[in-house]
Amino acid sequence: MKIRTVTAVLAALLAAAPFAVRAESFPSKPITYIIPFDAGGESDISARFQQTDWEKVSGQPVIIQYQPGAGGAQAWSQLNQIAGDGYTIMGINLPHIVLQPLMGSVGYKTADLVPVNFFHYTPNAIFVPKDSPYKTLAELVTYAKANPGMVTFAGSGSNSANQLGQAQFDQLAGIKTTYVPFSGTGPSVTAVLGGQTTGGFNYVTSGMNQGDAMRMLAVSAEERMPAFPDVPTFKELGYDLVGGAYRGVAVPASTPEAVRQQVSDIVTKINQQPDFIKRMQDGGFVLTDIGYKQMPDFMVRQTKEYEAGAKALGIGN
Amino acid sequence: MQILGYLVAALTPYNLLLALAGVSLGTIVGALPGLSATMAVAVLVPFTFAMDPASGLIALGAIYTGAIYGGAFAAILVNTPGTPSSIATTFDGYPMARKGDGGLAITLATISSVVGGLVGAISLLLLAPPLARVALAFGPTEYFWLAIFGLTLIASLSVGNTLKGLIGACFGLFLSTIGVAVVGGDVRYTLGMQRFLGGIDLTSAIIGLYCIPVILDLVATPNPHLRAAETGGLRLAEGFRLAWANKLNVLRSSVIGTVIGILPGAGGSIAGLVSYTEARRASKDPDSFGKGNPNGVIATEAANNATVGGGFIPTLVLGIPGTPPDAIILGALLVQGIKIGPALFSAQGAVVDTFIWGLLIATVLMLPAGLLIGRYAFASVVKVPKPLLAATVALLTVIGAFAIHSNVDDVQTMVGLGLISWLLSRYGFAPSPIVLGLVLGQIAEQGFVQTYLIGHASGSLGTMFFGRPISIAIILAALATLLYPLVSQLRARNKAKTEGKAGAVQQGRDTGGVIAAGGFVILGALMLWGTGKASALGAVFPGTIAVAMIGFSLVLGFMLLRRRGAGRAPEAGLGSGTLRRIAIAALLPVWALLLSVTGFLVTSLAAFAVTMVIADYSRTSARTWIIRAIAGAAIVTGFWWIMVHVLLLRVPAGLFL
Repeated sequence: MKIRTVTAVLAALLAAAPFAVRAESFPSKPITYIIPFDAGGESDISARFQQTDWEKVSGQPVIIQYQPGAGGAQAWSQLNQIAGDGYTIMGINLPHIVLQPLMGSVGYKTADLVPVNFFHYTPNAIFVPKDSPYKTLAELVTYAKANPGMVTFAGSGSNSANQLGQAQFDQLAGIKTTYVPFSGTGPSVTAVLGGQTTGGFNYVTSGMNQGDAMRMLAVSAEERMPAFPDVPTFKELGYDLVGGAYRGVAVPASTPEAVRQQVSDIVTKINQQPDFIKRMQDGGFVLTDIGYKQMPDFMVRQTKEYEAGAKALGIGN
Repeated sequence: MQILGYLVAALTPYNLLLALAGVSLGTIVGALPGLSATMAVAVLVPFTFAMDPASGLIALGAIYTGAIYGGAFAAILVNTPGTPSSIATTFDGYPMARKGDGGLAITLATISSVVGGLVGAISLLLLAPPLARVALAFGPTEYFWLAIFGLTLIASLSVGNTLKGLIGACFGLFLSTIGVAVVGGDVRYTLGMQRFLGGIDLTSAIIGLYCIPVILDLVATPNPHLRAAETGGLRLAEGFRLAWANKLNVLRSSVIGTVIGILPGAGGSIAGLVSYTEARRASKDPDSFGKGNPNGVIATEAANNATVGGGFIPTLVLGIPGTPPDAIILGALLVQGIKIGPALFSAQGAVVDTFIWGLLIATVLMLPAGLLIGRYAFASVVKVPKPLLAATVALLTVIGAFAIHSNVDDVQTMVGLGLISWLLSRYGFAPSPIVLGLVLGQIAEQGFVQTYLIGHASGSLGTMFFGRPISIAIILAALATLLYPLVSQLRARNKAKTEGKAGAVQQGRDTGGVIAAGGFVILGALMLWGTGKASALGAVFPGTIAVAMIGFSLVLGFMLLRRRGAGRAPEAGLGSGTLRRIAIAALLPVWALLLSVTGFLVTSLAAFAVTMVIADYSRTSARTWIIRAIAGAAIVTGFWWIMVHVLLLRVPAGLFL
């Protein structure tokens, strides 16, 4: 009995040891977490979810600040000027950091940035208002085929994951639709709800707040979402469309390897917290596990895909 | 009756304390230009995670409503909107303060803010679900016309100077197109510089355009900044009487504010501008607006606080934030595990109703808290010696512009725009049309391009732009605003003619105006040239503005050369304060440029001292100087400490600190 208790305690201590040591060395003070967008978007909300578990996992709180501008480019172009001690980190988004430098001079190149962890993505989804005549994706595609250009999709911003998804879907389905960019998810969902456009190419997360006011026709995830078991994936319907916006954490390029790994580990650990997992899933986010070690492969793969997508959008020629 | 039950839940001593603290803190934050409601709410969100949801929400709502109200203080006392919501408060609030009615203006702002806030919050309590439909009825077309309606205010703001007002608005619209375009994604007019990628920040532009000229004027004369009120104090009784006499204005503006608050993306600044326009139109004496008419302050302040309650309507009912602070509060709700959206009112009714009552209570508490803070703020601006006042205002502009994004570039942009604004205002180009253009430009452009895309797709461009019922109503209102001053001007001119007094009597040639017009023609040509690289979507709006700017400027130049009454000639000479003005105008850019070189604290301490010396007119004794030096050091260090340790901004340390 006694021996077992002692062993258990020892085992627990051993298990906790690397964590305890790390808590002493890094972080030893609060970390500033810069969100390169306005408050209230998916980047902000997922970071706020992380914030509630951050202190429990790392021993230090995290402070969230906003530095919006130029669809994130304003902040990313300044990331490498920040001291690389791991105490200032920045939210980072795909496909933004691949597409923006293709567009023109935005003050940074994709290769300049050091993402250390992509912790989730929000799949694209096609929404229509609840009184829309289109009950299924097939009906919408049939209409779009008969009326090229007439179907309008509201989405968040130009050259965003939404527009990329719309362009890819047009190619896959052999249709022509019109993408109408709005200044963020909120205004574009408002346009869909108000029937200003035929539908919306938005993130799944928008479906969470709207209940039955909007109908989701298809979602660009690998599998059906736990929160929306009735909504088919594009794959099921015969369109090979998977993806959306990946969100992660980046550090300045001057950050030492060890600290990069430590920041990445904190993010990975938060991703394993049951409360966090539940909140994210309820919100329509899909958790991913792309840590610092997997980053080079992941970035190569995604960059290739986005560059192909950019051609479809007519960017970077 | 269940609704009243939640009132009791909201009325716990803890919640009352939170509401009072929140409102007071918010008022102070709002009064400091650059420190915004968004920032205050964002900094405090993590603290609310430890509270129960209703209390946390009450604290955040109280800060938000307090900050929108507090913006009026800076607008009235130093002609600088503390938040963009109080842009229109400067139009009459500052002239009132100059006339010695600053206390009265603050009282009126407080009363109107409380009433506006109550109307907004009561609408939220009783009518939220049906009112949320307003947000959905507004499509891109309506936003476009709403922005155009806002721009028509220029015609009434710059009576007798309409051409210069229009050119100023074109300049503001041009500023709004700088950076990466939301629709189209083009990178426009950045001159290849990173700092312009994100565009011109509205808050730092407002600080520069309004406040830098005030600082230059502050140092130029030994006269006190504001005339102390002969009757003294805040003139409470008079304020209440005046507000009651204009109850129709208070009510109309509150309703306008609530409705515009419901529109996501419109916000308090547009609500204030629209209700200001309406108050002016309804007035029997429209010409006194802009010269210190109390109704201008009443209209703006009632409307902008009404947007707080109004903005919560789409936030809570649709899950779509009405304003940026709403967006942060929305995030806080999600973290608390509360699902917003259509189900919220039924599923989480207790939390929501307790929160709304809390917001109502906080709004009422704004009356005593605001009057107390207002009294103190007014007294200090009147009593503080001018050198200290000028230096503190200058410091606040630097801090305010910096704090928005922790970015020194914003400070430099602010100073640059401020100096341009001062030069332009000497030649009759007022800052307000520029600000209006900047505020409304993006809304107008996005609405225009979206309407075009949708209309083009369905082959119904005409009906999209001109055939929608709400659009038609807004177009009519815009036409009325546009034509009304022209009609009254014509009438006045006819009257003048019959009395045998020709309008423009012996004006000197407005050389500065001609030069400025020439400059704007060149700028317009450069803009046109710059659109060549942009996509069709990104080029149409700046191209249109450029053509308009060139057209207006050519007409203005032509009229000025013919010495027609297209604007007053500048006041002759620069006056005795010229040297001091130039000294400050030279100091501010140096201050902004050295911030990241020699460090924020050291640079600001030095610049503060130099400003005090420049602004000093009397032969001040050494003892007074020591006191002022200590006070100045305390002010600079105090603000610096707050930035570093409370707001946790990344303040540049440079060589020293």
